[in-house]
Amino acid sequence: MKRSHQETYLEQQEAPSVAEYGKKLEGSSVGGGDDNIDELLAALGYKVRSSDMADVANKLEQLEMVLSNDVVGSSNSFLNDTVHYNPSDLSGWAQTMLSGLSYYPDLDPTRVCDLRPITNDDESCCSSNSSNKRIRLGPWCDSVSSESTRSVVLIEETGIRLVQALVACAEAVQQENLSLADALVKRVGSLAASQAGAMGKVATYFAEALARRIYRIHPSSAAVDPSFEELLQMNFYDSSPYLKFAHFTANQAILEAVTMARGVHVIDLGLNQGMQWPALMQALALRPGGPPSFRLTGVGAPSNREGIQELGWKLAQLAQAVGVEFEFNALTTERLPDLEPDMFETRPESETLVVNSVFELHPVLAQPGSIEKLLATVKAVKPSIVTVVEQEANHNGVVFLDRFNEALHYYSSLFDSLEDSVVIPGQDRVMSEVYLGRQILNVVAAEGIDRVERHETLDQWRRRMGTAGFDPVNLGYDAFKQASLLLALFGGGDGYRVEENDGSLMLAWQTKPLVAASAWKLAAELRR
Amino acid sequence: MSEKRIGMIEKSNNKRQRVTQDRPEFSINDHHDVLVEILRRLDGPSLCSAACVCRLWSAVARNDSIWEELCFQQVSPRPSLSLRSVVSALGGYRCLYFLCIRPVLARLPKLLWTRDQLQLSLSLYCVHYYERLYVGAWIGDAPPSSLMFLRKPVNVV
Repeated sequence: MKRSHQETYLEQQEAPSVAEYGKKLEGSSVGGGDDNIDELLAALGYKVRSSDMADVANKLEQLEMVLSNDVVGSSNSFLNDTVHYNPSDLSGWAQTMLSGLSYYPDLDPTRVCDLRPITNDDESCCSSNSSNKRIRLGPWCDSVSSESTRSVVLIEETGIRLVQALVACAEAVQQENLSLADALVKRVGSLAASQAGAMGKVATYFAEALARRIYRIHPSSAAVDPSFEELLQMNFYDSSPYLKFAHFTANQAILEAVTMARGVHVIDLGLNQGMQWPALMQALALRPGGPPSFRLTGVGAPSNREGIQELGWKLAQLAQAVGVEFEFNALTTERLPDLEPDMFETRPESETLVVNSVFELHPVLAQPGSIEKLLATVKAVKPSIVTVVEQEANHNGVVFLDRFNEALHYYSSLFDSLEDSVVIPGQDRVMSEVYLGRQILNVVAAEGIDRVERHETLDQWRRRMGTAGFDPVNLGYDAFKQASLLLALFGGGDGYRVEENDGSLMLAWQTKPLVAASAWKLAAELRR
Repeated sequence: MSEKRIGMIEKSNNKRQRVTQDRPEFSINDHHDVLVEILRRLDGPSLCSAACVCRLWSAVARNDSIWEELCFQQVSPRPSLSLRSVVSALGGYRCLYFLCIRPVLARLPKLLWTRDQLQLSLSLYCVHYYERLYVGAWIGDAPPSSLMFLRKPVNVV
């Protein structure tokens, strides 16, 4: 039992100051871990909450006293025969040792202690349970017992019935057979409620969307509370890699395009919370040869004018901290195609211009002719590089049933990835699902101008950009490396993959591409 | 025993006593700069262990240059001085280590630590700083969570 000797040795040396140190630490925690686990001890492999430090120190002191008072021979069997299932939990270990030693005051050496295993939040246990409920056939955990295998097979069957019911309902809607569709939607609802895991959640959202379509309740986009929208998006940024991948890849493309520039002007077609720009500013600050001046023009909705100004102020603070000369302009417009080239106040002689759009182009497709106007405006300001990130899916087909099937496949993969990746607190995952659920509602239930989630595939965007007069720019190996590293950090058991597609990068979950990032420059004959 | 031998033993005892009295007592705790130099050469777990020894060592270990050394231990071309000012503005090397670098290393133990990984960690650190600035303003007490995906329970295997 080397470990106990180590603890007691430490205790003998510094018994009073450990307790004091613990009390001092209660007030301070470096970096703010959310459950206040002391970081220095965490680096050594012990999980102790900062608030428990004093308590643990006291227990260790008591343990040391008990061990030194006991005759060594009599306590030997207890020390040697106990099994500690979670030695990183110092508090629990000390408690067990104390209760064990005081329970057997005069030990019978032949008696074996049978300690209850320390039940702790065992995340690996939870995740193995949820993996059983995945709809697809996948590699099961070795610890799956035969009983749960049987229940897994049952769940799979209900899953297939669920998908069949969903598709049948969509077909009925397509054929305008609303009474049949109504009956099927109710059936889907009850099946989805009994289906656990990602499939059940996706099915619930699709069922709701179908119901809205049947009863013609279009969710009005004006009714959305913008601060709630922001909250959802922020949460989605934090808990999944899609937005991070988009931002980091676009930033890498921008960095490669502005290596020699003295001044950089970025036009962000959808500023939102500005989460993309801190990382770019930090990278520019560390550029060999010194940072360029950085001007950001953020485009947002008129209702959010104050929020955008606030955001600009915070970005300015960050820029000052990292030492980058920064200027911020806010542009508000109800619709992107309304923008005119002279609104941007470009300074072509001193600044390299960049246009950035992350998930902002597809809503423009809702009105015919708008996308061409917007791309013409972008071309007119003569940017050095245009970065475009969009969902990789065709949710803009003319036939409703095709759209429905595509969307079902796409969002099932998305929800699956949320389910499987790094352990996220339950509430955050729910918020991400709500965020995606609203997209589902829009794709399925809305029509006409209201339907803004008009995702198109990379090939479709390539055709549009080519027609508008843009040439593709290869994203390069550095971007690929960075994206792979980022995704490796997200875990998910290698579910996330970066794929290269003719110079553009795609983020895929289990071989299904979900997000595509590409970069464009003006076609050769249009460049000065 | 003969008197001569007793005398010899006494003499050697005295000599030993004299020697111990003449040698000055050296305590590392009186020489913080030497302590800092020693701590700078430690790896992560040893440094954290050292920082848990006593209050003095814990205070000395807050010296950011020690953590800077730790962050760049395996990066072959040494990063520029401008990096130091950027990192201190964002919160210092100690925070960078605990928030970004250590979780990354823990998540990907076989990783060769190069400039790319350092650059990614820095970017994530910067986003974290910005989230504290921006989110703190309108969400109130909620802690910034952009690095939530890096936090994982520590397991001793």
